[in-house]
Amino acid sequence: MLNMLLQLQLLLAALSAFLPLVPAEHRVRAAEILDVAAKALGAGNVIASNVDDLAIKLAAIRAEVETMAAAGRVVTSEDMDAAMDRVRTASAAFRAALEAAEAQ
Amino acid sequence: MRHPLRALALACALTLTPACASLQLGSTRIENPIAAAQTIDQRAYALLHAYAAVVEEATDIVADTATPLAFKRALGRAEQAATPAAETLQIAVTAYMRARADFDAASGANQPAIQRAATALSVAARRLNEALAAAQAPIAELEGLVRANRS
Repeated sequence: MLNMLLQLQLLLAALSAFLPLVPAEHRVRAAEILDVAAKALGAGNVIASNVDDLAIKLAAIRAEVETMAAAGRVVTSEDMDAAMDRVRTASAAFRAALEAAEAQ
Repeated sequence: MRHPLRALALACALTLTPACASLQLGSTRIENPIAAAQTIDQRAYALLHAYAAVVEEATDIVADTATPLAFKRALGRAEQAATPAAETLQIAVTAYMRARADFDAASGANQPAIQRAATALSVAARRLNEALAAAQAPIAELEGLVRANRS
């Protein structure tokens, strides 16, 4: 996925080099389209790398739960508190980031 | 949001197949930690950690200036729906763990006390199951959004 996005971004950069060849009356519009496409690709790149990070984190959680299940270990209240603390911390950071994005 | 149908399909797939061990997205294998759990409290524990991981990744997406604001807002709405469900789940699992401890403690008591503890444990387990079921859909929706632009 990341390779594909990188290739598309390179293609976009190559297309931008041909902008001077576009007739003057269409040049501004073509530049705008390329700019929008570059932004969309940039967002896709961020999301793709985040999906890869998410896959790593979910695999780690699964490994922990598998170990827990194999050992027949009971989940303690400390385990649950730690899980919920992680949720609250993540939620607070997310809302702060969203608020900052709205303010920009 | 750019691919609402894809996100919806993913959310539905996740909601309807909670026992799926993993999901292949392109070259990335997305593990389902809940499928590894063998008990109801392990399922709740796995779901809460998995949800936290999803929100952590959603935070990075929202913090990135290249992400369209409309997509950030869609993530915000999904998070607002899912976090209260996670809070409710934690309350239910705490009640279940207390009822289970009471049941274990009652093992040496008389029959009516054991019966009362067993009934309380059964009710707590049912409520925990309901909370788990209720939390899975909004959490899956946020997870689906995080994956939405994945091809």
